[in-house]
Amino acid sequence: MKRSQHLLSVVLVAAALVGITSLFGNDYYLRIVFMMCVYYLCAAGMNVLVGYAGQKSLGQAGLFAAGAYSVALLTTRTEMNPWLALVIAAGISAACGVLIALPSLRVKGPYLAMVTLAFGIVVEKLVGEWTDVFGGAQGIYGIKALTWNGQPLTSQQWVWLGIGLCALTHLLLRNLIQGRFGRALLSLQADEIASSSVGVRVYRAKVIAFVVAAVTCGIAGALVAQQNQYINSDFITFHLSIFILLLVLFGGAGSQYGPLVGTVILTAVDAALARWPSAQHFLYGFLLLFALYVMPGGVTGLFSKWFRRSTDAPEASNAAAAPTRIGPEGKGELLVVQGVTKNFGGVKPAQNVSFRLQRGHIHALIGPNGAGKSTMINMLTGLIDPTEGSIQFLGQEVSGQPVHSICCMGMGRTFQNLRLFAELSVLDNVMLGRHSRMTNGFFASLFALPGAKKQEAATRERALQLLDLVGLLHLAHHPAGSLPYGLQRRVELARALATEPQLLLLDEPAAGLNPQETAELGQLLLRIGKCGVSILMVEHHMDLVMSISDHVIVLDYGIKIAEGKPAEVQANPRVVEAYLGVDEEEAHVKPELESQPC
Amino acid sequence: MVEALLQAILSGLAVGGAYALVALGFSITFTTTKTLNFSHGEFVSAGAFIGMSALFLVLGLPVTSTTFGQALPGAGAQLLALAAALGVMGLLGWLLYVIGVRPFAGRPGMAWVMSTLGFGVILQSIGLAIWGPKPVVVPGPVGDTVIRLLGVGVRPQELLTLGVAVVIMIGFDFVMNRTMVGKAMRAVAANGNVASLMGINTNAVMIGAFVISSALAGLSGFLLAPIAQASLFMGLTVGLKGFSGAMIGGLSNPRGCVIGGFVLGVLESLVNLWQAQWREVAVFALVILVLAFRPTGLFGKKLVEKV
Repeated sequence: MKRSQHLLSVVLVAAALVGITSLFGNDYYLRIVFMMCVYYLCAAGMNVLVGYAGQKSLGQAGLFAAGAYSVALLTTRTEMNPWLALVIAAGISAACGVLIALPSLRVKGPYLAMVTLAFGIVVEKLVGEWTDVFGGAQGIYGIKALTWNGQPLTSQQWVWLGIGLCALTHLLLRNLIQGRFGRALLSLQADEIASSSVGVRVYRAKVIAFVVAAVTCGIAGALVAQQNQYINSDFITFHLSIFILLLVLFGGAGSQYGPLVGTVILTAVDAALARWPSAQHFLYGFLLLFALYVMPGGVTGLFSKWFRRSTDAPEASNAAAAPTRIGPEGKGELLVVQGVTKNFGGVKPAQNVSFRLQRGHIHALIGPNGAGKSTMINMLTGLIDPTEGSIQFLGQEVSGQPVHSICCMGMGRTFQNLRLFAELSVLDNVMLGRHSRMTNGFFASLFALPGAKKQEAATRERALQLLDLVGLLHLAHHPAGSLPYGLQRRVELARALATEPQLLLLDEPAAGLNPQETAELGQLLLRIGKCGVSILMVEHHMDLVMSISDHVIVLDYGIKIAEGKPAEVQANPRVVEAYLGVDEEEAHVKPELESQPC
Repeated sequence: MVEALLQAILSGLAVGGAYALVALGFSITFTTTKTLNFSHGEFVSAGAFIGMSALFLVLGLPVTSTTFGQALPGAGAQLLALAAALGVMGLLGWLLYVIGVRPFAGRPGMAWVMSTLGFGVILQSIGLAIWGPKPVVVPGPVGDTVIRLLGVGVRPQELLTLGVAVVIMIGFDFVMNRTMVGKAMRAVAANGNVASLMGINTNAVMIGAFVISSALAGLSGFLLAPIAQASLFMGLTVGLKGFSGAMIGGLSNPRGCVIGGFVLGVLESLVNLWQAQWREVAVFALVILVLAFRPTGLFGKKLVEKV
């Protein structure tokens, strides 16, 4: 098994390092190795945040301080056991991580980066100026070191502890990012809207990433404080935050061994330049400025092309009985929209619209450009809240619910302008669809408990089945962004199906497809309909709409002007008027709706 | 008590003027290029030190000196120093845009955050190599005699900072709303591609945005140096508070940014009266509070992402 092989090799490497360091007599070298371990801890957690969740934190020094000052105060002001203090320090850092993550609920991108920077500076000022508690530049002396058999650890034992912690952190974080959580984090980095629409709780995932980075950084800080038995405000600088970020970016953000490579190289360089602090800082600045330009993937990114595994062979379809049931059988009303109105200032893309969708039917929502069709889909899936009216799905009110929970209730969707996670493989895209149907929690993933492994395997199996259904099994391991447009539409469809929807909302599924592909899509939709999934599609291809839908709703300028069977709608004079306009003399000529592709 | 309060408000307004200049700089680059200069703070320090070294040169002292001693530069020297600070900072802004922003702007991943941050770290380490970490006392252009105003003592430099900041804001507002240059900048801000189709040189406008923004940071540093001593570390907090001011007011609204800067200056000064170490925490808390209720600032436009 790959996982146990990996475990074995990590243990062997750690043991070898312990063996080598036990031969070191020189405290200076031991100290450098210890600092490598400390920085690796910071970098490994930071990699989850920067490389996977795609959030830039410029305030890690604040979290480092949280860990360091926690053990300092806990062991000097109370008689607490230093090991217990270390654990509590990790907890306090986690709380600080939540604190930094809070603003991410409201702000994104550069704003959030600036907020984290502010957090780092505030902590720096606080420990520097609030001397009654933190001692300022004087610092706190007499921090109790970790003990073994009642004796404080020796320099060598500190290094061994560091190596052990690094190996453990590496293994745990690897478990975490190779499964459900890693995929979710990558998806929110790529596209938060698509991510929430497949059921990822975006905000929660971000908080988890911040907390992971905070805990590892806090432990690192605590270790430094306990090893030195001293901490003062000079440790906590903006440059520390930059250094921690640089470890990840230089090594290669989002790569498994990037943080390790970055840490080993930069800590060694740091030690070599320790006598010239301004040269050190100049180098960091230089690396920040140019490293990303020359090597966007960091050092590991440069070499990755030599080590890239050949793309796995096409998956054999072990899912012969592919088109399995997705939704439950039954009849009755699935979705009831009542008096929904939406105002964007003066623009009213929906005015008192009401309609009902039946289980097992294929519904179409049509109308000229600007009729409010996409807005309706966005309101149904919770991306936009209606100004007035109610939307009931399976008897439950939908408006006001967050996007991911609407997805969990059984509504899946595709987007008008494709929103695939372009960097991820086709298979990963579809597996993400099942995110909300997987039940393994954070800790189950972290420790790779049997349940988590089983869930992962089941999800993979299911995703392959769905890929078979849409005819993309042979492309499962290609990056989704590399596929031609028509196939990307099918990937998005498979991803939406993986959320196990009872109602599938398709926003212009045939846009950009040629007539042949459109006809194939029609057949595919009919097959999906037979799997127990009801469909509501927005579409301009009238031939597709008329040939497969059971029921058509027509919107014009936010007003429902007609609904009924395709043939009825086609004959409705108001619909004709909306599409072709009305000419005083020729108002009675029957136009050919089919030849209206838009 | 009332006097202390008045005093705090006045000096808060003066420092707030400097913050407002910085906030305005953030707003200018953000609206035109959708990027921010993360080393804006270092640019503030750089402005202070370039002004200071120009003064050294005029007085015949070596550039690397760290004290003015008894020498007192005259008005001409101060004006020359101001021009030097603005000019050099403008050039630095251009350099930053060319090597740090243009290669990354508009691409996903916010690599420009790192590159602008790196540019600032380089500037700071060069400064450290020349002048070392110690702050330098810089003589102000309007003397150090305290003026009595409504029974409150005010340093003339504080009044100068406030005055200059207000004049710059009004001038900027006029240019943005009443001239063709301002219209071009607003067009680029609204949609760069369309603006270039209309014959506007977007590249020039973006360079201009960085030049002006950096010059404003330099001006703010130049004005702050006599109030708070020139230090290579002064910029980071000034830059951060400028950004906080911009966030409170709304990055997309220059007037809001200015108001935000002044509000922060006064708030900080009032908190300082009470407990100095909570100053930064109070500022940060206010930012979080504003973001919680108005993510785009008090006067910012709401951004809608099209799905």
